[in-house]
Amino acid sequence: MRNVAIIGCGQTKHSGRRRDVNLAEMVGDAVWNALEDAQVGPHEVDAFTVGNMQGFGGVAQPEQWLGDWIGAPGKPVLRIATGGSTGGCVAQAAFYAVASGLYDIAVATAWEKHSDSKEPGATTGLAHVGLGNTLNMINFGVSFKHLLSMVAAGAAAGVACYQAMYYMHRSGCRVEHLDMVAAKDRRNAANNKYAHLQWPGCTPEDIAKTKWVAYPFRYGHICPASDGASAMVLACEEVARKRCKKPVWIKGLAAYSDEENQIMSEGAGGIGILDASQQIGATMSAIKAYKMAGIKDPQKEIDLAEIYQPFPSQELMFAERLGLFDEGTAWKALEKGETDINGKMPCDLSGGVNATNAIGSSALQRILECALQIMGKAEEHQVPKEVHNAVAHGWGGATNYIAVTVLGDSPY
Amino acid sequence: MPYIKEQRKETISVEGDWDVGGSTTWKHSTLLQEYAQGLKEKKIIGSLCPGCGKVIVPPRNICGRCHRKMDEKVVVSDIGTVTCFVISAPFAKGQAKVLGMDPVEIGLVEEGERVISVYVKFDGADSNVDTELIGVEPEKVYLGMRVKAVWAKEPQGRLSDLEAVEPLKD
Amino acid sequence: MARRVAIVGYAQSYHQHDMQMTREDMVFEVAKGALRNAGISREDVDTVITASTDFLDGRTISNLYTSMAVGAYLKDESKVEEDGAFAAYYALMRILSGVHDIALVEAHTQGSVVNPHLVSNYTVDPLFERQYGDLNDISAAALQARMYMNKYDVSEEQVATVSVKNLANAACNPHAHRRMPDVSIEVVLSSKLYYDPIRELTMSPISDGACALVLACEEKAKEITDNPVWIEGVGSCQDGYLRDRNLDKLDSLQIAAKDAYEMAGITAPFAQIDVFEVSEKFAHEELMIYEALGLCREGKGKTLIEKGMTEKDGEIPVNPSGGALGADPICATGLVRIMETAKQIRGEANGYQIPNVHRALAHGQFGICAQKNIVFILGGE
Repeated sequence: MRNVAIIGCGQTKHSGRRRDVNLAEMVGDAVWNALEDAQVGPHEVDAFTVGNMQGFGGVAQPEQWLGDWIGAPGKPVLRIATGGSTGGCVAQAAFYAVASGLYDIAVATAWEKHSDSKEPGATTGLAHVGLGNTLNMINFGVSFKHLLSMVAAGAAAGVACYQAMYYMHRSGCRVEHLDMVAAKDRRNAANNKYAHLQWPGCTPEDIAKTKWVAYPFRYGHICPASDGASAMVLACEEVARKRCKKPVWIKGLAAYSDEENQIMSEGAGGIGILDASQQIGATMSAIKAYKMAGIKDPQKEIDLAEIYQPFPSQELMFAERLGLFDEGTAWKALEKGETDINGKMPCDLSGGVNATNAIGSSALQRILECALQIMGKAEEHQVPKEVHNAVAHGWGGATNYIAVTVLGDSPY
Repeated sequence: MPYIKEQRKETISVEGDWDVGGSTTWKHSTLLQEYAQGLKEKKIIGSLCPGCGKVIVPPRNICGRCHRKMDEKVVVSDIGTVTCFVISAPFAKGQAKVLGMDPVEIGLVEEGERVISVYVKFDGADSNVDTELIGVEPEKVYLGMRVKAVWAKEPQGRLSDLEAVEPLKD
Repeated sequence: MARRVAIVGYAQSYHQHDMQMTREDMVFEVAKGALRNAGISREDVDTVITASTDFLDGRTISNLYTSMAVGAYLKDESKVEEDGAFAAYYALMRILSGVHDIALVEAHTQGSVVNPHLVSNYTVDPLFERQYGDLNDISAAALQARMYMNKYDVSEEQVATVSVKNLANAACNPHAHRRMPDVSIEVVLSSKLYYDPIRELTMSPISDGACALVLACEEKAKEITDNPVWIEGVGSCQDGYLRDRNLDKLDSLQIAAKDAYEMAGITAPFAQIDVFEVSEKFAHEELMIYEALGLCREGKGKTLIEKGMTEKDGEIPVNPSGGALGADPICATGLVRIMETAKQIRGEANGYQIPNVHRALAHGQFGICAQKNIVFILGGE
């Protein structure tokens, strides 16, 4: 298997409303930043992989329009779309493009521009994830009151609410821990110049003061809807060793799907998942990715993690599923400060998705942030220890396309 | 780099409203209809997979685990267990709109009411049904609670015939 | 290429106007069909790549709902949001990397769910073009057709000949949607006018359909079948946006074909390739495709069609299955082209088999005026 490394990263500032750039310019910024970081010229790029949530921002297949801004004309372009984990799967597709031997240098870019839509895509588009098929059920007389409790929280929150309740029941985690995670993420984001919700000195009490959305979530727990783009340049070993001082090697990757777990899937058929916090897809992706990477004991060998957590319960839940903490103990580790910058297993030092959520871009940013940490380029939120191995995670749908990527400072 | 935009001021916005016309035509199997008809007769129908033996409620036609059709219909109990619950924030007028309607204004919920959504595993089923829990204070809900189906007074063969569940009285 | 990869199984639906079947059932049938055709079970599959688009399926993260049906439960799964041939390309890359050995590729669209021509408006630049409100995939193709026809003095009759060929070919293909054995140039030219010169019968129909393929690395392919169809070359390319590219030629197809030919060691496609399956969503596109594939000089596509060289009994048969004019289940169209060439190589194209097929070319496209193109070169043992 050909070794593949990340040799450059680029992001744009993520914020609620980027009204200073249009979609094409925003993605162009990210890609050019990545090319500059990698010191690769646009003519040297062999292939592109791109992705975002289809239709958010009012344009379908946007890469066909904005391809000109990123130097795509005349090159192969592949569009990947897998819900929340889009960015992660876009990066994995770029990995395969180079690992296949067909291309030597590939650019992976993903983005979202919610503010271009009248109603932020995070509510309309995502509400569609659960609601789209609910509209079909209205023909069969579904109870409106029942629709209500889902809509009030927004579809993705609806799915995550149940996940959180299952996790809390299973592990003993309490709402106070969700407050702690959200506060930590916003404090961390304050040290990340590209992040959206930056709240230096945010405390769990600050979060606890916010209103309830739907138990167990408060407004302070929920991720924002951000505009932003991110990009990475991947290269084969020969190019990486020649051109990059500290290439970041992609040692293992997988994106397994569990049974789709939508509150109401097409035809409203039920699903056999009885515990929404089980997330078998995450467990299997982690097993495969660690195996490929040669990691036998993630708790000892992984130096930090970037977990996809639009909701704070997911940081704890997925960290356990990725084997970074024993079953049911992630919240205890949180209490002991193990997930802080000086802790044993720093999680989401960039603030994670909880602080910055441009859906297409967010899973790519998890891989990008791990790469920055390994390269030593994470500036204010750089972890003060040598990073040899890191794991990045992406979550899509409800239990689907859980993209797990293991990165390291050496390919073996 | 000369390609990265130098100025960071608000740029020109162009507005547009595009209704391309047409509509979406959903395709679904007859399973939902059968389920709704079953509710009219106070029967909760699920589909059974002959491969793994799982019973899924409401019925679905393909078992992902076995990759085969799961057409067999079975009836499960109308008594079950709460496996998960989510409590909405107290509803206030003007807070949220469902399909363009304000739920408090149209009398769907009362001001200050908190709706409890639960996942219920009816006995005999291997899946959860998403529905509302009534007849109990939000603080008193717990996982593992035993509940019974609440049927509509005048069933019409619609999904709302299964109105909600309520705590099972011993 | 690091490893050799072959197509070892395939299946497609009966493409039709408004399939009385849910998308889940349609996808389930082709996925099961492809696995059965290969003689393997779901357990043997390492990875699943699907192709469909949210705006044509009418729901967000549309592949969530067909995930179980396609057999992706607990599989490493991903989705490509364009033509199915790109999904095959991604699956190929996954196997070439060495990380996976066997891949299931599936693509589907039910055009009856959301009218694809109406939503094509959303792919157009929102800042300028969309403000005019008159551009969709058909009107843009009409602009392209006029440009091409004016430049090379191509008549509407010559364009209609493509339709006559393909629709008659489709009549021998039981899976095709629009089969017209007795069609003539007069019938084509008197069909309903959409945007001059595009007419009902010079553009593809809106079909419901799905297709699935099984790809395997060399070792596994030889275990699975005695008749593997090897992928000898692939090339993909995206052109600039509608306003900023040459509309009177398919530059991106030329680049994609060049890459594919180079990889497969093809220096003279006219002589070395036995059958072609191309995705011609409009009849004039097929003439432009001949030129971009290097089968004739620029502007001479009309000569090939007039002389009958691309008929089933011609020197270089193109679209013996009827092509996209015969059936266009949008995301599945390119994957169907790959399957049709594989059938030809295996000798299984009953009713429209071209004799002695050893090498074939399959083409897929996506985007207004064929903005992006992908070419596969396939070969028999």
